[in-house]
Amino acid sequence: MSYAIKIENLSKKYIIRHGASSGSLKELVEHYKRKFGTKISSAVLNKKVDPFEVTLEEFWALKDISLEIQKGAKLGVMGRNGAGKSTLLKILSHITEPTHGKISINGSISSLLEVGTGFHPELSGRENVFLNGAILGMKRSEIQRKFDEIVDFSEIEQFIDTPVKRYSSGMHVRLAFSVASHLEPDILILDEVLSVGDVLFQKKSLKKMESISKGGSTVVFVNHGVDAIKNFCNQAIVLEKGKMVLNTTDINHAIEVYTGEPYAPAVTA
Amino acid sequence: MQIIEAGAVNKDYWKNLWKRRELLYFLARRDLIVRYKQTFVGVAWVVIRPFLTMVVFTVIFGSLANMDSKGLPYAFVVFAGVLPWYVFASTLSVSSDCLLANTGMLTKVYFPRLIFPATIFIVSMVDFLISFLLIIAMMAWYHITPSWQIIFFPFFILMASAFALGMGMIAATLNVKYRDFQQLIPFILQMGIYLSPVGYLNQIVPRKWEIIYSLNPMAGIINGFRWTLAPDVIEPYWPGVYLAVFISISALLLGIKIFRAAENTFADTI
Repeated sequence: MSYAIKIENLSKKYIIRHGASSGSLKELVEHYKRKFGTKISSAVLNKKVDPFEVTLEEFWALKDISLEIQKGAKLGVMGRNGAGKSTLLKILSHITEPTHGKISINGSISSLLEVGTGFHPELSGRENVFLNGAILGMKRSEIQRKFDEIVDFSEIEQFIDTPVKRYSSGMHVRLAFSVASHLEPDILILDEVLSVGDVLFQKKSLKKMESISKGGSTVVFVNHGVDAIKNFCNQAIVLEKGKMVLNTTDINHAIEVYTGEPYAPAVTA
Repeated sequence: MQIIEAGAVNKDYWKNLWKRRELLYFLARRDLIVRYKQTFVGVAWVVIRPFLTMVVFTVIFGSLANMDSKGLPYAFVVFAGVLPWYVFASTLSVSSDCLLANTGMLTKVYFPRLIFPATIFIVSMVDFLISFLLIIAMMAWYHITPSWQIIFFPFFILMASAFALGMGMIAATLNVKYRDFQQLIPFILQMGIYLSPVGYLNQIVPRKWEIIYSLNPMAGIINGFRWTLAPDVIEPYWPGVYLAVFISISALLLGIKIFRAAENTFADTI
């Protein structure tokens, strides 16, 4: 068992309702009223179908994905909006269920689909560190032990006892990211979270991620910026309309498939 | 080794829930801190609302309508009804909203969702204990000496919680799909305070109607709660109490079942 995650024939179906926008009880009743009504009227008057009828359409956000992620791999997931990246991460994070298929996970898993989930504006930075840490699955003792480090990393020592609603958005995400980056799971799932804060902080974040993964963690990583994937990942997949079109360890090739043009790394200072 | 599969019921659900008990602590702490941080009167709000309800009901039912209180001070009779009622009312209204209010967490992080109602239970128990001090003070003031039956008061408070949580979880689940229940709950609570023996003793209900009246579990619960405080004066209507216990526990179990059955789809449908 050298894999960290094994995905077999994974599919996820969503049902899209046309006609009913918010799905309230009223609309449900109206729907059946209309359905019943049109049945009678179309039988009697041979009327056409009601244009407002609620119809259901299947939408496959993911279709038949099979993939093995080795222990210690850094997998970059690329794809355009709506390709199924977030759905894949949500299934891996246990937030939503797959329709078909099976995922075997070997080791503890933490996922970070958003920085600062559960942050409460009225609470101080300190309170939020503990709350957010607990939401992400850290133990209280673990947060206590790492508290100074977290605050240090976020660069907001001075305001740690100020309510978070007084923070600038930059301070807010820095603190949130600091908490998250002190997780120590075997497998870490990241969705677009490295692009928070200013450029310097982003660099620091990436470095932090590298040091986490050097510790042997497996990382599954979604990012729209290809440079972060190039710098960080050693395996990449490209999704297109729910299907996996490429699975490779040649990151440059994957980026070319994703962007559709030859890849020239941005010059970094 | 962890397996994610379609329709796979999470076998370790209760174990996971127990593992995340620290989250329960922090969420309860958040709710308590936030509620009192920005209010001038702070913690006193927990006492002020039931206290003012008690004053108004005492005036209306006691002084104006002059209803029978079996020789007990009317204010005490009402307050002993208001306390379990507030446990029920606040638990029900908050828990029916617990999924919508936490949409952000629901779509971004996984943990057993039963943590939300569990948090509400803890917060409501803290609230109750604070206002319970007031009724102790009131009993001292009126020289009502408690007997050994007072040890049963937590039982009736737990029943009020169980009933409210059960109904609340059903409403929360339905609320994810149909927002109608948001409108319904305040209305139920508004009616319920008069249909339950909050402002009067349920002994004034005619004997032949008593069992039908007791279909509302809050009748048996409030009756039982008053009995634990003043057992010499208030005799419990036992069939009503048994019925209340039966309905409350059934509601809780049904609520958990419905909540759990829909839990895996919350993030998709909300």
